Amino acid sequence: MPQNLPNFSHSVRLKYVKLGYQYLVNHIITFLLIPIMAGIVIEVLRLGPEEILGIVRSVHLDIVHVLCSSFLVIFIATVYFMSKPRSIYLVDYACYKPPVTCRVPFATFMEHSRMNLKDSPKSVDFQMRILERSGLGEETCLPPAIHYIPPNPTMEAARGEAELVIFSAIDALMKKTGVKPKDIDILIVNCSLFSPTPSLTAMVVNKYKLRSNIKSFNLSGMGCSAGLISIDLARDLLQVQPNSHAIVVSTEIITPNYYQGQERAMLLPNCLFRMGGAAILLSNKRRDRNRAKYKLTHVVRTHKGADDKAYKCVFEEEDAQGKVGIRLDKDLMFIAGEALKSNITTMGPLVLPASEQLLFLFTLIRRKIFNPKGKPYIPDFKQAFEHFCIHAGGRAVIDELQKNLQLSAEHVEASRMTLHRFGNTSSSSLWYELNYIEAKGRMKKGDRVWQIAFGSGFKCNSAVWKCNRTIKTPSDGPWQDCIDRYPVHIPEIVKL
Amino acid sequence: MVSSDEQPLVHDIRLSTVGPGRVTGQDVVHEPTNMDQAMKLHYLRGVYYFKSQAVQGLTTPNIKEPIFTWLNNFYHTCGRFRRAESGRPYIKCNDCGVRFIEAQCVKTLDEWLELEKDDGSLRRMLVSNQVVGPELFFSPLVLLQITWFKCGGMSMGLSWAHVLGDAFSAADFMNSLGQVMAGLKLAQPLKLAQSHISAKISPSPPKSKDPLSVKRVGPVGDHWIAANNSKMKAFSFNLTSTQISHFHTKVCGQIGTNQIPFFECLCAVIWKVVAKIRDGPEPKMVTITKNDPHGRKNGVLSNGQLISIVKADFSIMEANPKELAELVLNQAMDERSTIVEAMERDQGLSDFIVYGANLTFVDLEEADFYGLKLKAQKPAYVGYTIDGVGDNGVVLLLPGPNNGGKVVTLIMPEDQVLKLKFELKKEFSIA
Repeated sequence: MPQNLPNFSHSVRLKYVKLGYQYLVNHIITFLLIPIMAGIVIEVLRLGPEEILGIVRSVHLDIVHVLCSSFLVIFIATVYFMSKPRSIYLVDYACYKPPVTCRVPFATFMEHSRMNLKDSPKSVDFQMRILERSGLGEETCLPPAIHYIPPNPTMEAARGEAELVIFSAIDALMKKTGVKPKDIDILIVNCSLFSPTPSLTAMVVNKYKLRSNIKSFNLSGMGCSAGLISIDLARDLLQVQPNSHAIVVSTEIITPNYYQGQERAMLLPNCLFRMGGAAILLSNKRRDRNRAKYKLTHVVRTHKGADDKAYKCVFEEEDAQGKVGIRLDKDLMFIAGEALKSNITTMGPLVLPASEQLLFLFTLIRRKIFNPKGKPYIPDFKQAFEHFCIHAGGRAVIDELQKNLQLSAEHVEASRMTLHRFGNTSSSSLWYELNYIEAKGRMKKGDRVWQIAFGSGFKCNSAVWKCNRTIKTPSDGPWQDCIDRYPVHIPEIVKL
Repeated sequence: MVSSDEQPLVHDIRLSTVGPGRVTGQDVVHEPTNMDQAMKLHYLRGVYYFKSQAVQGLTTPNIKEPIFTWLNNFYHTCGRFRRAESGRPYIKCNDCGVRFIEAQCVKTLDEWLELEKDDGSLRRMLVSNQVVGPELFFSPLVLLQITWFKCGGMSMGLSWAHVLGDAFSAADFMNSLGQVMAGLKLAQPLKLAQSHISAKISPSPPKSKDPLSVKRVGPVGDHWIAANNSKMKAFSFNLTSTQISHFHTKVCGQIGTNQIPFFECLCAVIWKVVAKIRDGPEPKMVTITKNDPHGRKNGVLSNGQLISIVKADFSIMEANPKELAELVLNQAMDERSTIVEAMERDQGLSDFIVYGANLTFVDLEEADFYGLKLKAQKPAYVGYTIDGVGDNGVVLLLPGPNNGGKVVTLIMPEDQVLKLKFELKKEFSIA
């Protein structure tokens, strides 16, 4: 017992030292300014008003000097304001809530697996083990075509799912924001695995009768991180085009991509990927400044595709029977970790407070010069962000990130609960997580949110948002009827 | 069964699963009672036929969607069987769901019913033949088949594991689907009654002998169907109210006081016919099952029907039908407590068959089969049969589509069917 007390007081003392250090470094300018200001005030008081006037007159200012100086000031100010990037606001977003008729309980999934994979009981067992440990719940949804034994993935069914998900999300978004179809200037749809002709973007333009001079883009094949790629693209476009609205639709269409073979490495996506989609309204209009929910501060994209292993770790190919599926490599987690490290190395200097950056610099110098084998210092990102939205790619991804970034259970709660309620909805999962945080009433004005997504390629993309106004608990949205049941305890292994 | 063209009569069959919309929760179980376990080797197969007016504008998704709401009240029918450590089966309510089969038929409803008159076995194409097992984990207890006819008519085939409840419960189950589809809220409590030993059966001193109305079979293990010595075949015939009253008067005398009900008269006559045509000793015992209104709580699915045994100590072939009918009416002995007893002694592990252990007469007149209403219209016809019937055969008396009419369905060994048909035609003066 006595040993614990010194440890406890030692750690408490350390905590206070850390707090003091952080406060000092983060407000260093204030601390430096105060003595300077104090000095000036004392000097002014000492000199007295006549002396000050004398000093001012001695500068010999005449009208030309005054005019030139003011022009210079105005010129510099204009250059500054013109070159400042436009503020991009997220006005609002809507997530698709699948109907209860699409629900897939574990038992149903296993029974269908058993009937579809009659000849490979080992594969069925494998799927059962994955499902038990997946972190998914009993309410995740698959599209209607996949409910058949065997699944019935026609192109018509895939289009049907796309229409259902995308149109529902956009309808909800339009209702929430009041934006009219003729007001949409930019439209970006990202869906990795289903890319028909005409594109999904064209499908939206057709349904909502959007303008003929709309700037539309359809991103396919870019994996689960494509949602943030679309946001980045929208941001760049909104820099060039003033006074515009952009709609970004992120979704993944499951129907054509359900793997119907028996290869274990390719069965994993079947267990995790579920129906979902989100539509987001971005704007650079000044009048949206007050009603927007978030302001986009940073987007950082990291692509590890130059490395062969990273490129091949999530790979769509045919199995020995000619059935197409997505193969996930065994070292996926390791590659994800590396991609994350790259991303936060770029992100760190942009968002971390000065105290953390100094610490990182010192430990880096110390490692380089004195102790090459020392552990790298992981900056405390909890000081830079209040909320974290980690792509709900799977339980392992969330666990890995929680460990790497040293996050608490509450920080990853949004991700875990989204995985439980909706499964891995690919690029739209970040928006379900953000909605969870809002639904719990935790989003306050000034809060910073970090969205991290991983995707095939291998890519790690992050976006940082700043909350523009305290958000009231939404009365609609996908969490509306179940938020009271959350958070739930998700057991390590669910007994099926 | 393939018609002269390439396309089979019933084609385009697609399987899926529908379950309850609401999450039932972890570790919810339903324990069948001893009486339920006694009936586990039997399956009810019912087909409800609807004319096109009743289903106009309905599509398969229109039927699937309300099923999710409907099954919230019957979540235990969506579960799957497991075995406890003692080996006793119980249902894990894991929301696995009921199997949903969609099919198309090349004939119109009227054409189909005509075809069925000649070959009753065609009806098997409209309802699933599946039984529970050999993998209990993955065996649905309820299967629904929706078959669309060329004219726009539709048939709904219910395949029902008897362990869930008797035919009266199955009828209530289906009727509540009609109510949900009409947008009505179900009155039943959402929490089903927990496992209970049927309170109406009074505890009797432990008897060491088995009940007479059941036969021990197996052990069947996890494949819940008993083997038959002879192949069983089903056939039915409709009776109009005129034929019924004519027959009734013939058997039981003038319509008046103290009249023996039609069911008992039917039992007596068919008993005699079977005794006549069967090789070997005549059946001296028959099992009678009927509705027990006291044993059924509204909305709860259970095996509450009355099962009784009738023993005759005189020759059946020479007996007076009226006497025999009176015997059936008055001397039937309730065997339910004995059955429950026997099952309890074996801790729910025995395998029994009830229907067909002796010649069995099942009175389903009070089953509300025509209560399943779509667009406020009742079915044009409802036919039920039982699978897993023993070699001694079963006779079912069902309500008919029109007031006063009835349907008699017999499930007998194949080799006796022709003779039976001949004799019964004589008895009932059917053309």
